[in-house]
Amino acid sequence: MAAIGIRNLSKSFDGFQALSKFSLDVQQGEFLTLLGPSGCGKTTLLKIISGFLEPSTGSISIGGEDITRVPPENRDTALCFQSYALFPHLNVLQNLEFGLKQKRVSRDQRDARVSEVAAKLGLETQLSKLPNQLSGGQQQRVSLGRALVMRPSVILFDEPLSNLDAKLRDQVRVEIRRIQQDYSLTAIYVTHDQSEALAMSDRIVVLNDGKIVQVDTPEQLYAQPKTRFVADFIGGANLITGRVCSQTKENLTSVETLMGQIQTSHRINKSSENVELCWRPERAQIGKGPYCGTIVHRAFQGQFTDLILEENDMIFRIQTNNDRFRVGEVITFSILPDDVVVLEADG
Amino acid sequence: MSYARLNSLLIVMIVTVALIWLAIPFTMAILWSLVDPAEPWTADKLLPPVMSFYRWVDMWENSSLKYALISSYSLAPTAAILGLCLAMPTAFALGRFNFAGRELAKLLCLLPLVVPPFITAIFFSALLFQLGLNTWRFGAIVFAHSILFLPYAIRILTVSFENVRQDHIDAARDLGASPWARFRVAYLPALKPGISATLLIVFIQSIEEFAIAFIIGSPDIVTIPTLLYSALGQDFVRPNAAVLSLILVVPNVFLMLILERLMRSANPALSSGKG
Repeated sequence: MAAIGIRNLSKSFDGFQALSKFSLDVQQGEFLTLLGPSGCGKTTLLKIISGFLEPSTGSISIGGEDITRVPPENRDTALCFQSYALFPHLNVLQNLEFGLKQKRVSRDQRDARVSEVAAKLGLETQLSKLPNQLSGGQQQRVSLGRALVMRPSVILFDEPLSNLDAKLRDQVRVEIRRIQQDYSLTAIYVTHDQSEALAMSDRIVVLNDGKIVQVDTPEQLYAQPKTRFVADFIGGANLITGRVCSQTKENLTSVETLMGQIQTSHRINKSSENVELCWRPERAQIGKGPYCGTIVHRAFQGQFTDLILEENDMIFRIQTNNDRFRVGEVITFSILPDDVVVLEADG
Repeated sequence: MSYARLNSLLIVMIVTVALIWLAIPFTMAILWSLVDPAEPWTADKLLPPVMSFYRWVDMWENSSLKYALISSYSLAPTAAILGLCLAMPTAFALGRFNFAGRELAKLLCLLPLVVPPFITAIFFSALLFQLGLNTWRFGAIVFAHSILFLPYAIRILTVSFENVRQDHIDAARDLGASPWARFRVAYLPALKPGISATLLIVFIQSIEEFAIAFIIGSPDIVTIPTLLYSALGQDFVRPNAAVLSLILVVPNVFLMLILERLMRSANPALSSGKG
């Protein structure tokens, strides 16, 4: 049985449709990320799961039990807030204990759970401090700890890393994932940061305009984006439209584009149709090949170099480990048919 | 002139003006309260020729000062608490709910302050008479004071309610807190400075209020301002008035200092929870 079952969920605010007919199953112990641009409905969905918003239609169940109308204080979920939402007048220990006291957990149990979580999160020495005496990363940990001591069936994260600096974000990301796996927690994580989503998740739900665009593992989502929106939103993508011209016997299809003929091994439903193709910048193989372009911009990024090429009034992007290339140079490259993905129309 | 020099000059000027503003009236009040009836303080003398505590002792023993102190200091805290309770629901609505016309409603709440106190007092007392509240004069004054200073209370508490963070309320709820636990953990810390400020301001305003206390209270209830009025207005005994003024004002100065301390302790970093 799925840990969370969402059925035909819709939510509208004064005529604005924030979510429409949203259905999804989340498995026990799964780390699921809701990814999308601002206003795509991901936070609305999280608020509905945590109980702070009631859906207009549809239902939600946790562990098979319908909780659609259950208020947040009676739900077996715990939310980690973007702002941490630590109680400023309570010290770390009191913050951690707060939820357990509300649920009238016995003192022994409370002490045991708090000390276990504090040890796990490295907070033992901070217990007597007030939140404003802690760094952002430590506050984040307290917020996570406050949710963990509750031992919820589902833990919800609302962009928890957005207030941290880049280095700390990487570190806390690993910690959250480790703890989620250690406790086998079912987690729903909201973010607009695609690299966070790719690095942490078992599965990613890409949302746009209140609808699911694609649900897949990070690897699949990156390698096989279904639509232009997903391709563009996750990682860098070169998008090009063309006309299908022939199908060869090795299941390869040739598409006529402004770049020239591009071959793809991905299936195209109907022949002689306009299609949109996508290939990832790091998949281009520089050297011999049918395609060429002039470097108009170069950005050294450390582990790779970003090259912006221009050809036939088209701009595309290539990433290479080789930092020799300079602006003005003309380079030739090829793309393997496996790396060229055929996109479905958006919407 | 350098910026720093100008700055220090301005500070010196402000301090001087403040000192003159406060020190002169205070010194005069203290000196007048010490004038001995044996020899009057005439305009040709810089200081009173004979100084004693006669006026203080006399006022304490032979006037209704004791009674006035008791009634003033029991009226004021009662009015402050009642005012706080009456202001809470309105301030909660104005501070926590978004509705059309909210800003206008906030402005309307302040409007009664522009009416001169005596006019409010006359009409308010008429209203109290109609309600039959005039028979219990203490209650009538408490009620009138708490209503009269409601605009201050509502305004201060509205700002406090606006400062309560929604994520704290949500976090408490998410952790299973009952409405009362939510109020204690999310609302109360943010409201505390506002509650103290409201109590103190209504207290001070009530202690100093004359018009209503006079119109409704007299002759049964004497407060310090009404006593002061009789010392100044009816009998015009300036030394007695000076004694009363000091009794009226000194506790208020201390209360204002406490208020200032309370406001400062409302550290914004503490209420944000972010470093």
